[in-house]
Amino acid sequence: MSFLVPWALVIGGVGAAVAVLLHLVAQQRPAAYLLPTARFIPDRHTLVRRMAARPRDLLLLALRVLLLLSAAAAFARPVLAPHRGTRARIVLLDRSAAVASDTEAAARVRALLTDGVRPRLILFDSTATPVSDARAALDSVAHAEPAHAAGSLSGALVAARRAATEIAAEADSVELVLVSPVTVGEVDAALDSVRAQWPGAIAVARVAARADTSRSWTLERSLPADDVLAPAVAGVRVAATPGAVRLRRAPLDAGDSAFARLGGTAVGWDTIARWDTTTASKLSANAIAMGDDVVVATVGRGASPEGGRVLARWADGSPAAVQQELGAGCVREVGFAVPLAGDLPLRPAFQRVVRGLLEPCRVAMRNTLADASVLARLSGTGSAARGSALADGARRPTPLVPWLLAFALLCAVAELAVRARGRREAA
Amino acid sequence: MTAGPYGALLDAVRGVRWPAVRRVAGATLGAHPSRLRGNSSEFSEFRPYRQGDDPRRVDWRLLARSDRAYVRLTTDRATLRTAILVDASASMAFPQPALTKWVRAREIAVALAAVAHAEGDPVGLAIAAETPFTLAPRARRSVIVEMIRALDATTPRGDTALAPLLAAARAPRVAVVTDLLGDAGALLAAARLRVAGGGEVTVVHLLATEELDPPSDGLLAVDPEQPALRRTLDRTTRGAYARALSAWLEETADAFRAAGVWYVRADTSEPAAHLVRRIALEAGGRAG
Repeated sequence: MSFLVPWALVIGGVGAAVAVLLHLVAQQRPAAYLLPTARFIPDRHTLVRRMAARPRDLLLLALRVLLLLSAAAAFARPVLAPHRGTRARIVLLDRSAAVASDTEAAARVRALLTDGVRPRLILFDSTATPVSDARAALDSVAHAEPAHAAGSLSGALVAARRAATEIAAEADSVELVLVSPVTVGEVDAALDSVRAQWPGAIAVARVAARADTSRSWTLERSLPADDVLAPAVAGVRVAATPGAVRLRRAPLDAGDSAFARLGGTAVGWDTIARWDTTTASKLSANAIAMGDDVVVATVGRGASPEGGRVLARWADGSPAAVQQELGAGCVREVGFAVPLAGDLPLRPAFQRVVRGLLEPCRVAMRNTLADASVLARLSGTGSAARGSALADGARRPTPLVPWLLAFALLCAVAELAVRARGRREAA
Repeated sequence: MTAGPYGALLDAVRGVRWPAVRRVAGATLGAHPSRLRGNSSEFSEFRPYRQGDDPRRVDWRLLARSDRAYVRLTTDRATLRTAILVDASASMAFPQPALTKWVRAREIAVALAAVAHAEGDPVGLAIAAETPFTLAPRARRSVIVEMIRALDATTPRGDTALAPLLAAARAPRVAVVTDLLGDAGALLAAARLRVAGGGEVTVVHLLATEELDPPSDGLLAVDPEQPALRRTLDRTTRGAYARALSAWLEETADAFRAAGVWYVRADTSEPAAHLVRRIALEAGGRAG
């Protein structure tokens, strides 16, 4: 057993010593004696102070010392340190779309399971998921469909740090292995600060990365110059390829569905509000939220699209744009109209919303491998992290604490009762 | 008579005379010199006959010898109603648990009453207790027993004033047994009035030996009549206490004596019979 706040014990010990001292140097009220001529005694001090060889009121003293010591022990937060093993290992397995072959990655991890060190496996893409049965998880990874989610090394490291606090109390050192291609798309601004939270080296097992898809966003046809969406996609390449984005200013038809099944992205955005048409009556001030962007403007509100994943919402929470997966691609329906007049198409927030609605269904991955400097910062130097450095908060407070507090409370109540009885007897 | 534990005391004071300090005004035949001169057998003097004198009081033999008419004067004796006023305040219940002070006060009261009653004086009793008790002066034989019963049935407590009872006493002679720790000022005023009216007031100032010489250990003295008054009596305060008590005793004695009150100081170490004899002797000296 150890104590998180050992100073509390010291303070409690000093308090108990002071209590003993006070019981030795006590101000005594002498015994009461009925004396009718008491009025002739000069009115001076009514207490006699003296140093006793033995402490007075042993029961009171015992209660007070027990009260102080038990309260101090409780506030010192005793903890039970569990038995430690020699080494533990945390394996971060990249399951994002950046990995070219999940089978290869699973095989690399499986090789780490053979040296007798029990690993804690965490699968990550944009989110991290610890798994309890590593072998079963690896089997499913090896036979799973290729992933489409982006990866986040920062999120993975955060999850590893959390897992480390749980297992660090049981190990002298914790080894962290990262099985990932470590692409540029997986590195974000928070990586360095998150990496600094890991007090040791990280073994990076690099696997092959999938081909870079970040430059594959193309529009099937260029938009007319007077289209309100044109400013938002001004820099996008135009090419009639199977994976291109098709923008239809009319309801989607069977041809669009076929286009989507082959991997394309069909966007149906058929409502354009004109001031000189009856649709102008639908224009009203409203707000559209998509991701972190919120556009507040006078827009036309059409019928709410239904089904699929909601990409954008109105201020009242109803869907403003939805997406449905279809084959290798997807179809999107947008339910708001942009007025031809006004500066809305030029607002950055609106342009980000438009680009978000016209992006390809598949995540465009910047699968370019991170350079050596990133790898060096990620790997760090030295050896595996020490368990004691990771074990903050991993020690479990013993159930003794509430009992100690309850005992201190009991002593306090008993002390009050004993004192009250003493006062009654003195009176 | 069922005197109980007072039997020895009554035996000890038998034959003691407690004379009145002044001639008494009563007409009932008793043991105290009366202000009246009548036909008793105790010759006093001759006086020339004056018109209006009873011719039966003329000494005919002297008339025959001297040819002058003289009347024969005699000294009358009368009874003196006596009231015993006993302080039964909480301060008399001391020391605990023997209550020696209260026991001695009862003995003094009974002994004084017995001495007065033995001379044929009607005696009464007033107890200044929480519930005051008053027994009018009576000459009947059972009055002493009634007084004993009343005193034995009383437990000293509270702080009942003595002065109203003294003022209301229906007797020319009043003996007050008290420690004067209550309404001493009012009692002095009432006694002064009574003395001015021709009455006789004897104050027996009774203190316990433990009050004059308290225990030497440090103690927290609590006034039984004022429990809030608490003082520590130890070596450092003992001397001041003795001085203050002595000064108070002297001042009190001087004040009562100056008011014409017969002041007698007593403590519990003096037996009641001895004290009563002392009172009677001093009263006889004053009357002489």
